[in-house]
Amino acid sequence: MSQQTITAPAPAAGRPQPILRRSGGALLPRLLCGLTILGLWEGVVQLWAPAYVAKPTTVIAAIPKVIVDPQFLSATGHTLIAVAEGLAIALVLGTVIGLLMGRSPALERVIKHYVNGFYAMPMIVVLPLFSLWFGYSSAARLATIVFAAVFSIIMNVADGARAVPKEYLEVASSFRSTRGRTLIEIVLPAATPYLLAGFRLAAGRALIGAVVAEFFLAVGGLGYFILFNSRTYHHNEAFVGVLLLAAFGVSFELMVVWATRHFLPWYRRDEK
Amino acid sequence: MVPFSETMRRLWELVTGGEFIAQFLDSATLFLTGFFAALIVGAPLGLLLARVRSLRIGVEPYIMTLYATPMVALIPFILSLMGFGFGPKVLVVFLFAVFPVLYNTVEGARSIKPELIEVAKSYRSTEWALWRDVMLPYTLPYTMTGVRQAIGRALVGMVAAEFFLSSTGLGQLIMGASQNFDTGGVFASIFVIGIIGVALMRLGLSIEQHFARWRQ
Repeated sequence: MSQQTITAPAPAAGRPQPILRRSGGALLPRLLCGLTILGLWEGVVQLWAPAYVAKPTTVIAAIPKVIVDPQFLSATGHTLIAVAEGLAIALVLGTVIGLLMGRSPALERVIKHYVNGFYAMPMIVVLPLFSLWFGYSSAARLATIVFAAVFSIIMNVADGARAVPKEYLEVASSFRSTRGRTLIEIVLPAATPYLLAGFRLAAGRALIGAVVAEFFLAVGGLGYFILFNSRTYHHNEAFVGVLLLAAFGVSFELMVVWATRHFLPWYRRDEK
Repeated sequence: MVPFSETMRRLWELVTGGEFIAQFLDSATLFLTGFFAALIVGAPLGLLLARVRSLRIGVEPYIMTLYATPMVALIPFILSLMGFGFGPKVLVVFLFAVFPVLYNTVEGARSIKPELIEVAKSYRSTEWALWRDVMLPYTLPYTMTGVRQAIGRALVGMVAAEFFLSSTGLGQLIMGASQNFDTGGVFASIFVIGIIGVALMRLGLSIEQHFARWRQ
């Protein structure tokens, strides 16, 4: 036993290995784990659950049917467009407010607590309120998405604007740059990595906001597609929607990671 | 819209009427049960994955995927499979909270320096001592980052469960007020949940910083 534990540890903890060997060695356990998970799921559902419950084989069987279903496609389109619109609005709004907040201590003192408060608030509590204000419409969904996304962008951009190196600002002011130009040409680029980190959070929250809003408001979209199909016991079809949402979640994440690496290769920061 | 005074008046009514306290305790029970279930499952599982390398490599991408998946999408399934009881609601809170804990613990485990384990091993450390003195202290700050995220997500999960499964607690307070077009009541409840959110986030941050001290 002790013999074995003395010789074993190096590979057990080995992180700095050549990339090729690492990814090559990773594929097999990953595949095995995936298959095990799917197998367990399939087995449990087949043994104990009612027939309508989604399981891997039936979900896979449902995929080709669902992805050509015009209802599904338009639902996906509606949700994606709403998320994109909401994120765009939140991005512009959040960047402007965040920059101002980060560079103006007076403004920061005034609105900091509100931004923090709204950020910490579980965003879905505003749904009943938005449904009263905007009605059960896609406007309420858009408002929810913006609300869900904007505060994480404000917080991160403000952090970034505060962290701009002093020398940059001094050089700018010694060349008699106006405050507006400094903000746009110095502070904004310096805060971009923070902006991306905020956007990454915001994208995830926006997606959740969209789905929750569709549940709550019964507005047509992917969330509503899932709700409707699961209520009518079409669990397999509904689950295809969940898979697509998961794919969106992951691809947002990967996109931001890729963008950070590609456009800001000089930038490294501990993940928050 | 309603004036601020109306909101405050409704808040006062809710608090003094006893309705608020009852709903708050209801929500707190749900939140704490789900959150601690997530902690009890997530943290040890994460540590286990930290030690068993092949298993960790195997499940890592799946944990990452589930971490990025909007868990709200599963609520309709939980509803139609498990109905309206307390159990399904706890499951929702659990699902919201468990992946941040798991993901961050695994992330921490990944970054353990191999030298630390090698040194421990070359001093013939037992498996138990290795866990107690190396693995646990090293991954704990990461786990606590997960705990902070999980607190926020569990709160969202709590409200989502109260909205979409059986209506109870603070969620019901909001829903009831909005169905009666009692905007003052909606604002009052949102205000309270906002305060709870801020308080919990502060708590999470201080927990995280407390455990992360040695990292600086």
